[in-house]
Amino acid sequence: MDKNAKIYVAGHRGLVGTALARKLQKEGYTNLLFRTSRELDLRRQAETEAFFDQERPDYVFLAAAKVGGILANDTYKAEFIYDNLSIATNVIQAAYRSGVKKLLNLGSACIYPKFAPQPMHEGLLLTGPLEPTNEAYAVAKIAAIKLCRYYNEQYGTNFISVMPTNLYGPEDNFDLENSHVLPALIRKFHEAKISGQKSVVLWGTGEPSREFLHVDDLADACVYLMQKYDHKDLGEFVNIGVGKDIKIKDVAELIKRVIGFDGTIHWDTSKPDGMPRRLMDTSKIHALGWKHRIELEEGLKSEYQWYVRSA
Amino acid sequence: MSAITSAESGIGTFAGRRTWITGHRGMLGSALVRSLTKEGADLLLATHQELDLVNQSAVYDWVEKNRPELVFHVGAKVGGIHANATFPADFLYGNLLIQTNVIDAAHHFGVKKLVFVATNCMYPAIATQPISEDSLMTGAVEDNIRSYAIGKIAGIEMCRAYRKQYGCNFVSVIPPNLYGPGDNYHPQYGHVVAGILRRSHEAKLAGKRELVVWGDGTPRREILHVDDAADAMKCVMAAPMTHDMFNVGCGHDLSIAELANLIAEVVGFEGSIVYDKSKPNGTMGKLLDNSRIRALGWRPKFDEKTGLQNAYADFLELLETPIRNGRF
Repeated sequence: MDKNAKIYVAGHRGLVGTALARKLQKEGYTNLLFRTSRELDLRRQAETEAFFDQERPDYVFLAAAKVGGILANDTYKAEFIYDNLSIATNVIQAAYRSGVKKLLNLGSACIYPKFAPQPMHEGLLLTGPLEPTNEAYAVAKIAAIKLCRYYNEQYGTNFISVMPTNLYGPEDNFDLENSHVLPALIRKFHEAKISGQKSVVLWGTGEPSREFLHVDDLADACVYLMQKYDHKDLGEFVNIGVGKDIKIKDVAELIKRVIGFDGTIHWDTSKPDGMPRRLMDTSKIHALGWKHRIELEEGLKSEYQWYVRSA
Repeated sequence: MSAITSAESGIGTFAGRRTWITGHRGMLGSALVRSLTKEGADLLLATHQELDLVNQSAVYDWVEKNRPELVFHVGAKVGGIHANATFPADFLYGNLLIQTNVIDAAHHFGVKKLVFVATNCMYPAIATQPISEDSLMTGAVEDNIRSYAIGKIAGIEMCRAYRKQYGCNFVSVIPPNLYGPGDNYHPQYGHVVAGILRRSHEAKLAGKRELVVWGDGTPRREILHVDDAADAMKCVMAAPMTHDMFNVGCGHDLSIAELANLIAEVVGFEGSIVYDKSKPNGTMGKLLDNSRIRALGWRPKFDEKTGLQNAYADFLELLETPIRNGRF
């Protein structure tokens, strides 16, 4: 990737897109292309094709998506599948038509079966039923992986797909209805601290464990892969994670400490726990020479600072 | 996951109902046209020249203008194993776009009920037989048909998602291998029944002693006459929404050897059938569990032999037709 190559970051205002833009700017890429969803609705076929035909980007990071937490995914299933399928089909086709040199498609860990053995390696795709609450989103993401693969097979394009684990970082969504586990915990502890509450109630037992990747590390991995590897080196797609997990109760203690909340944590064990363990097998990305740099405590500190500044 | 808790009322009869059949020139679409015409439905049909289903704004404009009440969404980019393997991107892109356009436009403009046609090849390559609707996505699909299958899985999921979020009555049907009037007998793009039927006929005319069939003859195939499939779709459209997916098979299968022998008998080819074991067998079996659709009262009208006789008659008629629309 030349420093003056034209690089389109689709979804540059989201969690992943902003991190990608930061990373690319930091690395000295000067010709970055952005459009807000108001300027360019990627769900609209004609608009998307006209944009690609006119701008002819050399590289594309496809980070535009409709995303949300479990509740949003479950409630707005039709929007999640329609928006994400439309964005993927329109962008991938337009990228092929306009001669994009390389495209990186961002997926999600939810493409894996609900009861996949842990840690989850890339070969487990479509080997069992998905988690029903985010099935619609996951199917759209699976379709995007397959689109990239088949364009490569039929048209000789160079479209690669990456599946990040749970992400966190600046620009995260702290809306309680829509947020993922880390921002939700940060907000709960922060609000408890500000209002002087003595305890915080959290759902479940705290026993399940999860893996968290800082979005700056994801951006680093994406740019690294874009610079160094072709789809032939990667296979259908590659996981991006830290390769280790942590119990939710340990995460809660960590966040409590980072925020400086002095009260106690009460676990409401009448509430469901979710899957006992979700973790990526990161051997493939490690073998490609990439490893995460930001450890959870450090990442949480910067995330909390960001939250306080932006709240 | 596909059980529907509250059964709404079905749509009743078709007479006078504004009914859009996408892909009405294909084998299944034209069977629906024949059948619904008899019932007096107000059919809305657009040829590919009039409406390109891949064109998003054209689809919305067309649906807004024509306001169908019922939709049979049959239109898709289809083809055999060879076509799927050669053009996987075209199949997936085309089918994803077509169904997102049709399903979303149907929701947007208040379609009362939509029946989406999927395929038995989207079920896992290795699944307990007969295959129930709940086996969807419980294992990997057949490798050589996967791009078509992934598109259909996404379509089923879209119907479910629109039902869950908006309460749309969108339901999917999953037929086995179809055959009958309107089939494609193209040597490269045809499916199993059409392929063997054409080659049996040609072997008979050429006076050959042998007919070569790929594989060892042991894989089993469930076949369904297209008129029975159309009938099943009408049944699902008319009935209350008890489930969001229905297998529509006849409930039994034949080995490729049994099928080839039956076709040879119908065609009148008297030579012997030879199996080319150097060629792939394809999937070993894909018998559908049809208990859900049977519970709605549907039964196939053709047994395999009568159905194949009917198909062969259509084939002979096609030979006499000057314009064959790429079917031969």
